[in-house]
Amino acid sequence: MNKFFIKKLPIIFFIFVPIIFLWHPNWLGFLGVQPYWPLFWLLPWSIIYGSINGLIFGLFLGLILDSVTLDSNFTQIPGLMLCGILFGRIELHRDFLVGHFRYGLICSFGNFLCGTLYFLQILFKNFSYSNFLLFLPSFQNILAEVFLTGFFAPLICSQLLRMFKFSRRKLN
Amino acid sequence: MLDIRRISTSRWWHKKKSWTFLGIFLFLVFVRFSKGSIYKDFYYFISKPFWPGQFQKEVILKSIKQESLINSTLLKKDNIRLREILSLQESSNNDYISAAVISRKTGSWWRQIILNKGLKDGVEIGSAVIGPGGLLGRVKNTSLFTSSVTLLTSPESKLGVWVDRIQINGLLVGVGDNYPSLILYSKDADIKVGDFLSSSPASTLLPPNIPIGIVQSVDEPSKAKKTAKISLLAKPHVIDWVQILKVKNFNE
Repeated sequence: MNKFFIKKLPIIFFIFVPIIFLWHPNWLGFLGVQPYWPLFWLLPWSIIYGSINGLIFGLFLGLILDSVTLDSNFTQIPGLMLCGILFGRIELHRDFLVGHFRYGLICSFGNFLCGTLYFLQILFKNFSYSNFLLFLPSFQNILAEVFLTGFFAPLICSQLLRMFKFSRRKLN
Repeated sequence: MLDIRRISTSRWWHKKKSWTFLGIFLFLVFVRFSKGSIYKDFYYFISKPFWPGQFQKEVILKSIKQESLINSTLLKKDNIRLREILSLQESSNNDYISAAVISRKTGSWWRQIILNKGLKDGVEIGSAVIGPGGLLGRVKNTSLFTSSVTLLTSPESKLGVWVDRIQINGLLVGVGDNYPSLILYSKDADIKVGDFLSSSPASTLLPPNIPIGIVQSVDEPSKAKKTAKISLLAKPHVIDWVQILKVKNFNE
């Protein structure tokens, strides 16, 4: 039983991503915005298992997160798939400390990408309404999310990466 | 030469892994099309111990005061109108379900709340959800135990509203921050800071005269329309208990 859990550790964490996304702990927020949780899981997964796996699980995460959010006109899938591919091309850094902080920058960039893609969809959909109204809150949303994701990524991603590696070693 | 036909084992359909991925993919597509109801019901059970208690008195009482003040003004006016137009039917509706907020996303792009009442309690898609202060949003999706509400601040939300002072209908559009925009399709509309908005008496989607918000700032008019920022009376980021009004054709 224990072996099973160790083996399936990444998948167990995968299941918890939408739960945290729904939970939306306010005390972790900044300007009412939360870090973009799926990237914390996707980064270590893609680094270990490569671009193709990153792409597939980006799609899976996008499907789940789209289904728990109500915005049926907008989707998170393209952003997450793109991040999955990009993260899969990253190699681990030898220097532990540099690698540690690099996760923050990578996740921030990934989040910026996802946020921009989502914003473009909203902009496209609401083209007929006064668009300038959308810009300021949207930029605030993107920047706050990018900051928070970058802030928490070194802490969470490095721990998850360690666990995923451990689980893979046990698997082989 | 013997031409031995080699049976290939490297095709994707010969790999167990491919089928596993296909299975997971199909399952997730099912989850997507069922609007995540499995996930939301699962979340319902694991979040049960953390459901809100009955407190937040200060915020709620302040909102209730504002609500009752606006409500009574509206009701007085409504009464006069009713006396004048005898054919108008009763507009009050006490048919509601109380529910607790078990998940809330009030920041960023996704502005929604999930309530602990679902299909089994008789919640229907399209029901209006009100909290202390006024209207919060409408039920967009239900699962067996939960219902998801699109907040007025969500970029998906578009709602017809009534500006009482100047007796004009407008469109309330969520823009992804805490202050949705009111669009009036008339350049000369005399809207001012402090005007209050309620649900339209002509609405077929919502009961009439539910307080919504107050005009916070008016933007410069452009292209035959006027826009204003609205401060909502009900604060979804602090409200823990709400009421779901049952769907009914309010203009019948």
